[in-house]
Amino acid sequence: MGLKNIQECERNKIERWAAFQLEHKWKRFGILLSVLCLVLLMLLKLMDLNTLESSFVLKRVLLIGLLVISLSKDKEEDEMIVSLRAKSFTLAFVLAVVYSLVQPLVNVLVFYLIKGDMTDSFSYFQVLSFMLMLQIMFFEVLKRNR
Amino acid sequence: MENTIKVERAILNLTQDELAKKIGVSRQTINSIEANRYVPSTVLALKLSELFQKPVNDFFKLSSDD
Repeated sequence: MGLKNIQECERNKIERWAAFQLEHKWKRFGILLSVLCLVLLMLLKLMDLNTLESSFVLKRVLLIGLLVISLSKDKEEDEMIVSLRAKSFTLAFVLAVVYSLVQPLVNVLVFYLIKGDMTDSFSYFQVLSFMLMLQIMFFEVLKRNR
Repeated sequence: MENTIKVERAILNLTQDELAKKIGVSRQTINSIEANRYVPSTVLALKLSELFQKPVNDFFKLSSDD
């Protein structure tokens, strides 16, 4: 296989992956799943029934729900919506990286100012949920103001 | 980029919604193009050209900051 063929194959595959989207009907399912997981997580926390297993499962299902919302097509999907979604992904990605850089500094500041617990790390759930929620929020805001 | 889509649409006596349906986009996209908030792709520009029966250059013009 020549270099040109490899490049063509790579380009085609990446284009196909980048174009992957779920049908609009999946959006409702994603919202339902996310809300359900959020409510359950809060209820378990409030009632002090939060076990490691339940939290582990619910947090992952919440991430799946948010991802389904992110990947679902809009009701009226056209090229402008595709462009707005790309912008929202860019913004969310950059802000998530900034968040993961700043968060440890905030922890250190809190430790020195309030003398709380010194935690030098944060969960990937925190970063991923932050990024997915930002993407969904930016997309909806951009769509509303188009 | 500046455009005269609104004028061309008026000549054909089309609403934003009707034009949107004819070229397969949403009404909001037409509104954004008319307000110069969104620059359409070449495919969309050619669809408009076909509908208006005019070259793209007749209704899309580069502005000084392009």
